[in-house]
Amino acid sequence: MTVTPLSAPPPAFDLEKVLASIDTMAAQRPVAAQVVTVANGEDTSAKVLSRILASDVALATRVMKLANSAYFGMRGRVTSLQFAVTVVGFTTVRTMATVALTELDDESRLPENFWDVTTCLALAAATLAPRFGERPPDALCVGLLAQMGAALLHHNDPDGYAELVAEHPDVTGRRAAELRRYGVHSVRLTAVALEQWGFPHSMTGRLNQIDDFTSLEGGLLRAAFEVASRLTADDHDPVPIMRLTCGQLREDDLVPVLDSVRADADELRRAMLGE
Amino acid sequence: MSVIISEPDDDRVPPEIVASVFYSATVSDNLALVVAEVVAGRARINWCNVGAIDLLGYGLDDLRALPVDQLFPSLGGGELRLLLRRERAARMTLPVRTASGATVEAVVTTTPSPSGRMWTIRILSTTNEQERALRATADAHERRFSTLTERSPVPTLLSEQGMRLSHVNDAFCSLVGRRAEQLLGTGWMDTVHAEDLDTVIEQVSDALEGQEVETQVRLTREDGSVRTTVIRFAHLFTPGVGAGFVGTIEDITDRLAFEATLAHQANHDPLTGLPNRTLLARYVADRFVPGTGGLACLFLDLDNFKVVNDSLGHTAGDELLTEVAARLGAVVRPGDLVARFGGDEFLVVCEHVDQAAAVALAERISAELARPVRLGGVDVRPYASVGVTVQTDEHTDAEELIRDCDIAMYQAKAGGKGRITVLDQRAREQARDKLRLVAELRDAIERGDITLLYQPIFSTRDGRPVAVESLARWTHAERGPISPAVFVPLAEESGLIAGLGLLVLDETCRQLAEWDRLMGDGAPPRANVNVSALQLDANLPAQVAEALQRHGLHSSRISIEITESALMKDPDSARLVLFQLREQGVELAIDDFGTGYSSLAYLRHLPVNCLKVDRSFVAELAHGHTEIASAVIALARSLNLSTVAEGVETPEQAAELTRLGATYLQGFSLSQPMTGSGTAAWFATRGEPTR
Repeated sequence: MTVTPLSAPPPAFDLEKVLASIDTMAAQRPVAAQVVTVANGEDTSAKVLSRILASDVALATRVMKLANSAYFGMRGRVTSLQFAVTVVGFTTVRTMATVALTELDDESRLPENFWDVTTCLALAAATLAPRFGERPPDALCVGLLAQMGAALLHHNDPDGYAELVAEHPDVTGRRAAELRRYGVHSVRLTAVALEQWGFPHSMTGRLNQIDDFTSLEGGLLRAAFEVASRLTADDHDPVPIMRLTCGQLREDDLVPVLDSVRADADELRRAMLGE
Repeated sequence: MSVIISEPDDDRVPPEIVASVFYSATVSDNLALVVAEVVAGRARINWCNVGAIDLLGYGLDDLRALPVDQLFPSLGGGELRLLLRRERAARMTLPVRTASGATVEAVVTTTPSPSGRMWTIRILSTTNEQERALRATADAHERRFSTLTERSPVPTLLSEQGMRLSHVNDAFCSLVGRRAEQLLGTGWMDTVHAEDLDTVIEQVSDALEGQEVETQVRLTREDGSVRTTVIRFAHLFTPGVGAGFVGTIEDITDRLAFEATLAHQANHDPLTGLPNRTLLARYVADRFVPGTGGLACLFLDLDNFKVVNDSLGHTAGDELLTEVAARLGAVVRPGDLVARFGGDEFLVVCEHVDQAAAVALAERISAELARPVRLGGVDVRPYASVGVTVQTDEHTDAEELIRDCDIAMYQAKAGGKGRITVLDQRAREQARDKLRLVAELRDAIERGDITLLYQPIFSTRDGRPVAVESLARWTHAERGPISPAVFVPLAEESGLIAGLGLLVLDETCRQLAEWDRLMGDGAPPRANVNVSALQLDANLPAQVAEALQRHGLHSSRISIEITESALMKDPDSARLVLFQLREQGVELAIDDFGTGYSSLAYLRHLPVNCLKVDRSFVAELAHGHTEIASAVIALARSLNLSTVAEGVETPEQAAELTRLGATYLQGFSLSQPMTGSGTAAWFATRGEPTR
């Protein structure tokens, strides 16, 4: 038996620094940061949120675009920012603000295929959510942000992370590799950051349970990752969905999900990136 | 209260840590606080409060120098660094391991000291009793709500975001015949009828913005059938999440179908299924734009329909009407309206046609109708008289257009059956003129402008006047005198005859009473009053009695003249009325006798006193034809009735009629009709009492 010693994080990578960099980014996008802070307050209203949002034109435009996307079914009826906030929901607005302030909208700083995977992941999570007793809007947001940690790792260690991804096309194996290399895996990193910003535990908890294969709550996200992989990676070797979801889903269940995710992914991507 | 774990002479908790503890939180026993410090490269606990001891279950000694990572088992690898950050506070919800090895879910907040080597750690259990109770209540609420909607027979939708649904109940699934998975998210939008989707989105928008709204929506079932529903949307707001809606659906398909049936019944003729008069009026009114043309009406009246009804029975009559309706429907152009106006009358309304096209259509209809119909073994050709009117600038409303084509139809009928007549300008003017005259006649009757003249009736026995006949006269302010031959039928047609009849009766009685007052025994002994066929009903005896009583006259002073044709309209009831009058002591005469078709046997059973020989038979005397006049007089005599010969214009006629045995004479040659005062004067000059 060979014992592989846990390798210490490479000296060039300081997790503390990574987390601190998020705060720096927030300082550069004060409106987005304010939206993240305010959005989920008990007394927040669409009026208050839209007033803040209006100061960040790029972000406001994306929210408008998303509200009018096929995903929400409003067919271009959303003409005011306040109504757009109502339609997409406060959590989604907060998610979009988070995307903006962590510079996830700048594809040059992201791993390859980042948004293709992310939109599929988000839509799959939302579509499958009812099967796991979850709220689809929350699942959509978790899906949209799940790869934020990966983006941070990539940003702080571009070459190393690219190499790691290339070596581990399978997401489960990749997380183990991330843990070895950085002391934390990308989904966990996302959870830490989101918790830091006050995202509810009901959302971050799902991220934390991704590697607990006995957890149904983690099962939703694992299934969503699997759907995203099947749709975006040509050489993906499908993992049986039963195994990923504690028997909650069968392969048959995935067929309509794959179709609907494929249909909506492009539009969601455009709305999120303001293309 | 706090517990110092460190030994007294050991390094004490620095004041800044204690300060940070007390500034960062309100300390209570419910709040667990520990202070951690990095010692020899590992974070260990060096201070805690009572709340921490209670929560974690460790003894004081066990907690001393306990590595922090042992408290947080889920922070594997280097993850403790994520919680104990050097430069900023951190917050995580994670399991905390207690002394027993069990874990407690808690929100853990860490605050570093400026040195970056010590942290205050607040542990707030999320599983305390109060929270559990709250969550249990919330869960119970949620379960109750979902049970309620799940079992509810009312189809219900619950939104997630925008148009997206998070929940549909079984009732909605059965309504649209689809499974819940097909409907969640935006899937349900596929069930909304394409033409209604915009409205639904608008209503949802309003609901999301706080309003309660409802709208009628067609939903398409999986099998393609359509249900009409009313969806009521109510606003829902969840703090921290945003707005949503609850939609409840009422399926009104059956109700609408029932209402449509009722509406159809109200607007359609049950026999032929054609639109009725109500719908026709609305249809024409909706399409009538004054000052434009192109709207045409064809009014059809079946010729001899009454004959079919009377001879072959009502069932055959109904069959004929149904057949005519079917033929009309087949022969008109697409878009033309065929309506049953009533009885055997039909109306066709066409748009965008000129007169030539309307007449061509009328001809096609006539030809189509003229094909034989087999009814009760008999071939019947249902000819129709058709009146055609095309809208002109002079038509000011839809009603006028229909009235004009009605007039045209009457003209067609008057011209002989099976004809088509277009209402021309002259005919329209005549018709309008007649309408004006009716209005003026009504005013004249109301104002008492109808005057009476009185023509004496003479006894052939001694040449003395024995009675007068009241004759109504109308002198129009502009048109001058209008003949009773014009205004009496007009009054009959337009429902004014009752008023006119009463006026004549009352004025005659008044005049008789006045003559009595002025002339005493020299006053005319009796006045004959004409009664129209339409007056001959159960009210007449009472009206006569009242008039006599009002003016204090004996009933023998009045003789009621009724035409032979009036008696034959409804012989049984006429007979009844005559008997009542006779019982009252009023004399009765049959006017224009010999011009009708009364059966002599019937005549014998009527309680009349007198026959009036029609003026046409009197006129024949001048040409040597005495046959009819003498036969009538002889007949009267054999029935023991007196006779009045009317229209005596020459002394020769008077002599001849006297010779033939006529009882009384009346005519221009004997005396012209005179006013009341003229009559009084005339009777006075006769110089002798008449009674």
